[in-house]
Amino acid sequence: MTLAAELRTVWALMRRALNELVRVPGAAIPGVLAPAIFMLGLTSVFGKLTLLPGFTTNDFMSFLIPVSLLQGAGFTGAATGVNLARDIELGWFDRLIVAPPARSALLAGLVLSASLRALIPMTFLLIVGLAFGVHFPGIGGLLIAVVLATGFSAVAASWGITVALRFKTQSAAPLMQAGIFMAVLFTASYAPLDLLTGWLHTVATYNPVRFIIDAARQGFVGDVSWGTTWKGLLALAGLAAVIVSLALRGLRHASD
Amino acid sequence: MRKRLAAHARVVAALSRRSIRQAFRRPQFLAPIIVFPTLFLAVNTGGAGRAVDLPAFPKVHGFLDFQLAGSMTQSAMLAGVSAGIALALDIEIGFIDRLVVAPISRAAIVLGRLSATAVLGALAGVWFLVIGLIFGAHIQGGVAGFLVVVAEASLCAGAFGALGAALALRAQTASVVQGIFPLVFVVLFLSSAFFPRNLLLQPARTIADWNPMSLIAEGLRDPIVYGLSWSAVGKGLGGIAIVMSLGGVLSALAMRRRLSVG
Amino acid sequence: MAGIDLEVAEQEIYAFLGPNGAGKTTTVRMLTTLLKPSGGTARVAGYDVVADASSVRRSIGVALQEAALDPLMTGRELMQLQATLHGLSRAETNRRSEALLNRVGLIEAADRRVGTYSGGMRRRLDLASALVHDPKVLFLDEPTTGLDPVSRITIWEEVRKLNDEGTTVFLTTQYLEEADQLADRVGIIDDGRMAAEGTPAVLKAQIGRPRLELTIADGGAERAEQIIVGFGEAMPARDGVLMVGLERGASDIAPIVRALDEAGLHVESLNLVHPTLDDVFVEKTGRHLEGAGEQPEEAEAPTA
Repeated sequence: MTLAAELRTVWALMRRALNELVRVPGAAIPGVLAPAIFMLGLTSVFGKLTLLPGFTTNDFMSFLIPVSLLQGAGFTGAATGVNLARDIELGWFDRLIVAPPARSALLAGLVLSASLRALIPMTFLLIVGLAFGVHFPGIGGLLIAVVLATGFSAVAASWGITVALRFKTQSAAPLMQAGIFMAVLFTASYAPLDLLTGWLHTVATYNPVRFIIDAARQGFVGDVSWGTTWKGLLALAGLAAVIVSLALRGLRHASD
Repeated sequence: MRKRLAAHARVVAALSRRSIRQAFRRPQFLAPIIVFPTLFLAVNTGGAGRAVDLPAFPKVHGFLDFQLAGSMTQSAMLAGVSAGIALALDIEIGFIDRLVVAPISRAAIVLGRLSATAVLGALAGVWFLVIGLIFGAHIQGGVAGFLVVVAEASLCAGAFGALGAALALRAQTASVVQGIFPLVFVVLFLSSAFFPRNLLLQPARTIADWNPMSLIAEGLRDPIVYGLSWSAVGKGLGGIAIVMSLGGVLSALAMRRRLSVG
Repeated sequence: MAGIDLEVAEQEIYAFLGPNGAGKTTTVRMLTTLLKPSGGTARVAGYDVVADASSVRRSIGVALQEAALDPLMTGRELMQLQATLHGLSRAETNRRSEALLNRVGLIEAADRRVGTYSGGMRRRLDLASALVHDPKVLFLDEPTTGLDPVSRITIWEEVRKLNDEGTTVFLTTQYLEEADQLADRVGIIDDGRMAAEGTPAVLKAQIGRPRLELTIADGGAERAEQIIVGFGEAMPARDGVLMVGLERGASDIAPIVRALDEAGLHVESLNLVHPTLDDVFVEKTGRHLEGAGEQPEEAEAPTA
């Protein structure tokens, strides 16, 4: 299939996903509101943690916002998996599989539309955060955060797609969402690594998403450095490589 | 009269059994009640556990002990919303007609689902208390405390089930009821479910002082971290009563409306 | 609903016949206490549907159009729940459930979830659940819509058997063959009011006349219609088939054909048809019954 045809397929898939959003805007509202609600809520509840010695900042929301960004991006990505599971159940997906487009074009279409959609909760989050006094991260810091979060949404979408193809039912939705939840929150999410207790300290130490969050967090709590940024980008790239290839393999075997 | 009551109870029990079976046959129903609150418990305990070192934090055996009540409150609320979603689905597929046409009391239809929700609330209570015990929490109130907490969790779930049912009867579609999920978390965050009231940031702190959810959460928490006391039971039942009356009134109104418009 | 007056005798099979949107389902919902009538009264099995709703519910069995089944339950679970809702004891519940599942041929699928049943199986389960308490009156709302011919015939046989055993049956349908085959009496409903009522034979006899159906080649249909109208009763055309009601029958045909021939019109096909309930419908309402004569054949695929 020619590149032009593949690109057209990608575009068609994206348009379909975006159409759904426009047609039922009400359904998207919980997805957009939830990360902001969690950010404000968790700050109200755990804000005083910053009083602990060892906390690197005295503004909890600034510390938390990268987590919320990844949460928003992640759940939007997971939603792609849920929608795909629904399409599989309805039989719409079979038609797509039989059509000529290469599986990679299919995946690209689904993942790119997820990334685009993820920008909505992310933008909303940033506006709310800045309105409530989050420290402005500077252009560089902001760019890094947005790039990392958007990249994470692609990873999340690939994860959702992999699970959807494996289980072929909407009942697998909790698995998709739980996976994102653990990936994002089992990190230095509420407090710096040293202040985490017991098992979470261990898990967070080895969780690649921790580096992504640390990198996205830089501008909000202090200065941006190459070292931290690189680690974040590398972690994201590694994660993406693994999950995207899983998704691709799942797609290739979909008609078996 | 007694025979009538027994027959009535059999109907409620049968409907209740059906609802419970339904919850276990659909993972998406059970997940928000057990899976996500457990994950949340894990993050909160691991991430905010050092809060016990803060001078203003109440003296408790451990942060986990403190958190358990929050998980049970969250679970009970979500069980209520799930009950609403299930009822809305019943309306959407027409199953509710089957119940309306049967010679059973209108109350039995709602009671069947509410009792199922209460059972799920009790199961959630047991789940979290056992998890807590496994990971080192101490229940200061002992066995009696354990039972009281489970009973409170059960009643709390039933009360939220009534609210969920009222919502389902008004909205009649499952997706609307599902949209309530974020609201549940707003109410939880504006209470003392996860953190002591005196350590919340404003304006959450003021709101929490007036939020019946704080009463419910503290009613579940006190038997675990302090021991069984009348004030603890009073707080819990008081909060539940407020929610229950709200839910009961709204349910009754919605049910009557639904039957005449049908 | 504009206004309906009807009476169904005990142990009768009464069919409510009409197109979609005519008000059949609304009427059934009112009679089964699902809907409060906006005016007038109704008595089912001797009880008033508003004042004595619970007595009505005890006496009726209902199988609604959208078989109100929970896809997560098994067939057996549904039967047992239905029995319990009607106050049957544990022993009776088991006995009746098994007997009815056997009767409708679902005993083997009884422990599978309803979500895996085909459309025909769901209707049979719905019917069985309506019978669990041996009701005096059975309400069936479009019992065979969307079913394949074999399932349809199975349901018909079951309804006849039930009626023979003493159950009064009130069914709604959009298929005139169903009303013709099953009903002792038929009520034709259109646009919220009753257009005609009576036994199928009497209704058809009222119309009485045979009709001629013909198709004309090469687009001469309009002119042909003007011509044939002079020989009998005008009738609306359907799907390109012209129709005219005849006074006597076969002897009327020759003059018509001659007239068309003289006008240079070529008759492609010609058919002498005797009256059906659709003709009754046309007579009373000026329109054909939707779906009349169509028996849709749908392949039955189990829904996941």
